Amino acid sequence: MFDRDIWQEIFHTLKNNKLRTFLTGFSVGWAIFILVMLLASVNGMQNGFTNQFNDDATNSIFIRPGTTSKAYAGFEAGRRIQFKNEDLDYIKNSFPEDVEYISARYFSNTTARYKSETGSYSVQGVHPDHQAIEKTIVVNGRYINNADIVNKAKVAVIGRKVSEDLFGQEDPIGKFVEFNNLPFRVVGVFTDDGDDNAERRIYAPVSTYQRIYGNTNIINQILLTYNPSYDLTKALEFSGRLEDLMKRRHKVSPLDQAGVNVWNYAEAFDDISSFSAVLNAISIGVGFLILVAGIVGIGNIMVFTIKERTKEIGVRKALGAMPKQIINLVLLESTFITALSGFIGLIFAWIILSLLGPAIDTPAFSNPSVSLSTVVTATIILIVAGVLAGLIPAIKAANVKPIVALSDK
Amino acid sequence: MIEIKDLHKSYKMGSNSLHVLKGINFTAQSGELVAIMGSSGSGKSTLLNILGMLDGADNGAYILDGVPIKDLTETKAAQYRNKFLGFIFQSFNLINYKSALENVALPLYYQKVGRKERQVKALNYLERVGLKEWATHLPSELSGGQKQRVAIARAMAAEPKVLLADEPTGALDSKTSYEVMDLIQKINDEGNTILVVTHEEDIAHMCKRIVHLKDGVIVEDKKIEQVRAEQYV
Repeated sequence: MFDRDIWQEIFHTLKNNKLRTFLTGFSVGWAIFILVMLLASVNGMQNGFTNQFNDDATNSIFIRPGTTSKAYAGFEAGRRIQFKNEDLDYIKNSFPEDVEYISARYFSNTTARYKSETGSYSVQGVHPDHQAIEKTIVVNGRYINNADIVNKAKVAVIGRKVSEDLFGQEDPIGKFVEFNNLPFRVVGVFTDDGDDNAERRIYAPVSTYQRIYGNTNIINQILLTYNPSYDLTKALEFSGRLEDLMKRRHKVSPLDQAGVNVWNYAEAFDDISSFSAVLNAISIGVGFLILVAGIVGIGNIMVFTIKERTKEIGVRKALGAMPKQIINLVLLESTFITALSGFIGLIFAWIILSLLGPAIDTPAFSNPSVSLSTVVTATIILIVAGVLAGLIPAIKAANVKPIVALSDK
Repeated sequence: MIEIKDLHKSYKMGSNSLHVLKGINFTAQSGELVAIMGSSGSGKSTLLNILGMLDGADNGAYILDGVPIKDLTETKAAQYRNKFLGFIFQSFNLINYKSALENVALPLYYQKVGRKERQVKALNYLERVGLKEWATHLPSELSGGQKQRVAIARAMAAEPKVLLADEPTGALDSKTSYEVMDLIQKINDEGNTILVVTHEEDIAHMCKRIVHLKDGVIVEDKKIEQVRAEQYV
């Protein structure tokens, strides 16, 4: 294999048939290029999905009240369900083992004013646990704490954009902003990986907002994270129990999806994983079929080359070349063309991906790239492909009768 | 050196069978220079192919240097060809993208001789056929006579027991033919066994023995007075 003479001959034939070598190599290079690009695209889609979700803890469950769509337990359909503080306490007490963090959400909008700057923002009344569930990163100051909840303190954690809008370069911590003319003290500033809109949000203690808006104990949403050691089955089983309980508590038919909606991230994640696995399989399949076309092309050209060199092979055999040596020569040549052109395709795809990949960052498609394992797999496929492409022509060559070289009159 | 007993060979031509060799008995001693003559279709090329292990016989025995040649696998045949035989073809059959030196070195490559040693030996044989200065030239840059001399050097390089020449002068003009025959005679003078297939009387008479084939049998086998080619060169 590392025989200098064999390589000399291979280079010689390739050099003498530049166009032919290029055209055959192109088909394989192109196939590998497409294969890698397809895999990278699937990877990009996967990244896009993951980015959309990693804003929140992946073990989170959202519980939203709605309007019943089925008559049940003596109630007519169309009844509006509302959650209260007691619902949250009830969940906390019913599932002490399962619940990791739990928080209410109370939605509201406000016009915020600081000195001469004003802006309209959405405010969420939350519990301290909300920080962990939403993965909120506090860059300055602190988040809402338990004392704020108990004292119904008029404090706010504002998004980075809010801080920029209202305070400019000024440090907002400890300053007072007016929310609908009520003074709130800013205790923290947060950022969010999710998107800019998240940073135009304000968090305040849920109890404070409930008091401001007519002393209610209504909450709009409950979100929680379950025990992180749970696997998918356990997580789904837990959210099932949770759903049953909440429906029973609010007298909603177990079959009514509109009355109480329990949404588990794990489920969506599971869907996405199987979705991208299928996409991956499809792209490997398509890429492989294109590669087969390339292999057939190389095999075809090798058959042609052998035909052209029949006489030469006959002479070699008359001079004492063994069939094994002839097979080696042909196999090495086809493997060499396949591997070389495949690598060129691979490198091209890689260059394009590393130049363009990082620049692509949309919600559905982000940073398409290929892993090392893909590259290694592609390389192995290439070498196997080269051997396969050369196999039939090589056997054909080995079967050339040296007598052909003699009977040339 | 060569011993052939009752050799038969027939070819299938569609539904017909063509009986080409009909019981050949032939022996050649070491150091002989034998011309095999016959008109086309007499079976002389078939005989040479069988002698060269390029084709197998249907019946009969073939013993080369004491080794029975029978039921050879491709690999075994290749080894024997490399060890026992040197071929000289009518159309030279040099590999056109290899230099004269590389062509001569090729059988040595198949004998697994090292690269350096191969070069030295090949150059030595090129010198013996008087083409040392042409070592790096491609066959396309050589004349017909020069090509055949390179081919002879190549056949000699493996130091075979027997040289088989199939119409070695068939593609050459008479002056060049005599030059090639002169070379063959000199190689024979050194003790090499050579079989020459030809249909040219003058070439045959430059050998030491003429075997006449007709319709698959030997009709005449006689020792002759060798005509030296030197005088015509």
